[in-house]
Amino acid sequence: MIDRRLAEEILGIALSGGGDFAEIYQELTQNGNVRMLDGKIEAIGDNVLSGVGIRTFVGTQTVYATTTDISREGLIRCAKSVAEAVGEVKGAVSLHLCERVFPNIHPVTTVPASADMKQKIDLVKLACNTAKDYHKSIVQVAGTLLTVDHSILVANSEGLYTTNRSIRTRMAVNAVASNGTENQSGSCSPGRSMGLEVFDLFCPEDIGTEAARQAVVNLNADYCPAGKMTVAIENGFGGVIFHEACGHSLEATSVAIGASQMAGKLGQMIANPKVTAIDDGTIPNAWGSVNIDDEGNPTQRNVLIENGVLKSYMIDRLGSRRMGLPMTGNSRRQGYDYEPTSRMTNTFIDNGPDKNEDIIASIEYGLYAKEMGGGSVNPLTGAFNFSVREGYIVRNGKICEAVRGASLIGTGSQILKDIDMVGQNLATGQGMCGSSSGSVPTDVGQPLIRVSEITVGGR
Amino acid sequence: MELTCAKNIIFEAAKAAGLTEYEIYYMSSSSLSAEALKDSLSGFSCGEGGGISLRCIVDGKMGYASTELFEQGELEDLVRRACDNARYIEKEDTAPIFAGSEHYATLDLPEFTPLTAAEAKAMTLDMQAQVYAAHKGVTDGTQSACISSGIEIYLCNSHGLELSNRIGLNGIYAMPIIKVGEESADGFAFSLCSDKEKVSTLAKKATEEAAAKIGAGSVASGKYNVVLAGSEMRSILSVFSSAFSAKNAQMGLSLLAGKEGQKIAADCVSITDDPMRAGAPVQTHFDGEGVATYKKDVVKDGVLNTLLYDLTCAAKAGVASTGNGMRGSYASQVGIAPFNFSICPGNLTEDELLAKAENGIYVTQVKGLHAGADATTGDFSIESEGFVIENGKKAGYVRSFTIAGNFFELLKSIDSIADTVDWGIPGGFTVFGSPAVLVRDMSVAGK
Repeated sequence: MIDRRLAEEILGIALSGGGDFAEIYQELTQNGNVRMLDGKIEAIGDNVLSGVGIRTFVGTQTVYATTTDISREGLIRCAKSVAEAVGEVKGAVSLHLCERVFPNIHPVTTVPASADMKQKIDLVKLACNTAKDYHKSIVQVAGTLLTVDHSILVANSEGLYTTNRSIRTRMAVNAVASNGTENQSGSCSPGRSMGLEVFDLFCPEDIGTEAARQAVVNLNADYCPAGKMTVAIENGFGGVIFHEACGHSLEATSVAIGASQMAGKLGQMIANPKVTAIDDGTIPNAWGSVNIDDEGNPTQRNVLIENGVLKSYMIDRLGSRRMGLPMTGNSRRQGYDYEPTSRMTNTFIDNGPDKNEDIIASIEYGLYAKEMGGGSVNPLTGAFNFSVREGYIVRNGKICEAVRGASLIGTGSQILKDIDMVGQNLATGQGMCGSSSGSVPTDVGQPLIRVSEITVGGR
Repeated sequence: MELTCAKNIIFEAAKAAGLTEYEIYYMSSSSLSAEALKDSLSGFSCGEGGGISLRCIVDGKMGYASTELFEQGELEDLVRRACDNARYIEKEDTAPIFAGSEHYATLDLPEFTPLTAAEAKAMTLDMQAQVYAAHKGVTDGTQSACISSGIEIYLCNSHGLELSNRIGLNGIYAMPIIKVGEESADGFAFSLCSDKEKVSTLAKKATEEAAAKIGAGSVASGKYNVVLAGSEMRSILSVFSSAFSAKNAQMGLSLLAGKEGQKIAADCVSITDDPMRAGAPVQTHFDGEGVATYKKDVVKDGVLNTLLYDLTCAAKAGVASTGNGMRGSYASQVGIAPFNFSICPGNLTEDELLAKAENGIYVTQVKGLHAGADATTGDFSIESEGFVIENGKKAGYVRSFTIAGNFFELLKSIDSIADTVDWGIPGGFTVFGSPAVLVRDMSVAGK
């Protein structure tokens, strides 16, 4: 990593074009993956990413330059390109950095890169073989163990010089069930900001079983009917509904430039009073947690919506300048080749007042979305969509036959008001969230909730 | 460190490790972009980088490793890591490192001059001004951007095969937000600078798209004749393109398995992959394994002529590689993907296609395909927007509905195809294209 003195020199050069703030972000990442397909280990991925991004601000204008040449000469060239893009280059600015050490609240015991490859292979095999043996209709299983060992350095002209290392481990299994003419798939992909000790929390056999179970359920399901319905959305990855319907619209990325449906609504009642939603990057070892964000600020617990009232946005440094509000520890980026912006960490709807059994019992006819897939949103209008990976028709308060191929669409402002029951079994699910600063790990979560009416896409 | 120097270090280390089959794949990129908000520049970025990977055969198994750290020790370690990884591979039928095709085409690449910072900034500000001028409702949050990106690719292996290519793109975006009363809507338009589309035309297109969305209505659930705009049909094609991969077919992950030579689509449907399509921004004469690429009819008059093969899958099937071994980046392992992949044009103008639909929906935007479509099953259920078609003509804008179906059934139910292919923005070496298509009786879920 760049030492403190070199960082001072580089920042001084970056500011020489007239910027009022400069920042260095360095990354050294080791990505590993072990992939099993068709009963055999077919690929092992082993990639080292290394590079630096240098950024300056002039008010709310930014200049960002990246390089993989981390020699002193390469870094100086990169910093000069930043200065030249800002304005007329004058003498380098002199500054002093002070090293800060932030506490590690996500301890790791088994570093994946140091673990025996055979141990990792055995874990993938156990998951895949369990999925394959689950049912005779399972025709194919793909399993991957992903490990990320990500070290960063952040230094800036306010005197910050700090480093952080985060380690993540995730197992993903996809199973395909077939009856000869149709295929259906199921998947399960839990992960944590942990090393291989994560498999003390969840075992590979359960991951394989869950993927295969979903595929078999879907193979025997009919297409979901289309139309407006009452929908109960289960906990865990069901929280993607808040992530898409509302979370993105609370990021400064869109709020600060007026391109969000939630701009200007702080303090207003935007959701049903039963809804309290939180973004918390400090949850120990959670998938979306980090000690510091990608601008070097410690992550924090931000209450976004409290009893239906909008309390906070998620704000990075640029957003803070544009909005005149403090940063919230939400600045994130995939790596050095992305300029950071405000992003979610672990975002969830908190437990509410309703009993889970009452939620299902309250539905005369509707859909029970047991497992959700991903989705997307337009933050400007709040129009969102997401897919239902496993769903069931509810009749007279009872969960009935499985249905497949459903999607849910609506607008964020409407669905927040239509969440009229909130249960008590809060759990999270793991995802990779894509936005302008790349793909970052995020947790979504909620207890079982009821949406009084939403459009279900089906046939 | 120079590429030649890095190559020599890796090759020397590979020889010292006793390897006889190995290959490096190198990519470097240089890019810049400018963005505008309101009436001034909001951001400027530029970047230079490169990465290199080694793949090698150890006891018949293929090992990979890659790095962006060009230091002697790290490059030597790359060889150790790739060898170590190979020892754990169980897949037995990997094709050897390729010695080379008999002939490689000479590319007729469009001229490419990267934009300078000053040019990019000026173009972006011009675009932004034109967008604001194009419609009185254009408001804050409107953005314009300009990008310039150049990529160099180099492949070299132990057989002495040495190939290189370059990709260069300059492009400009307009992303207006229009506000009328309390309602906001956005638009989007992109053009490669080489398309010579005028900035003013692009500004008009994007603002018209946004303006059309104001006061949008809804549609009732039911079955409709649907015209999918070329831009949307190509997005659907891109999601399901993995079904054309021979590897997925061989692994039971594609419903096109065993269908070569059979009818899989309506008579009017042909699909080609043309890696060296004249005038295309991305053209390549060799694939990720060094195999010469060529133009092929994947589907001809509704019949599946061929799947897409790399060397390994081709050997397994007893056919020749179609030159579709793809390495999306230097760090990617060889997969299978198309290059310039498109549904071939039909003979109706888009207006004639709408007339033929008579009444229905003209879908001009589909969203969330990454979640709402499953290439293994072919099923899709996707949020959409577009125009009502009334008496064969475009009428009011509608949104908040889904279209649902199965891709393999969709291919069979295409009634007619428009005469102009709408090409998308390149993603790596792959670009998708499609004309607008008319599909009858598609399931729509709305109000």
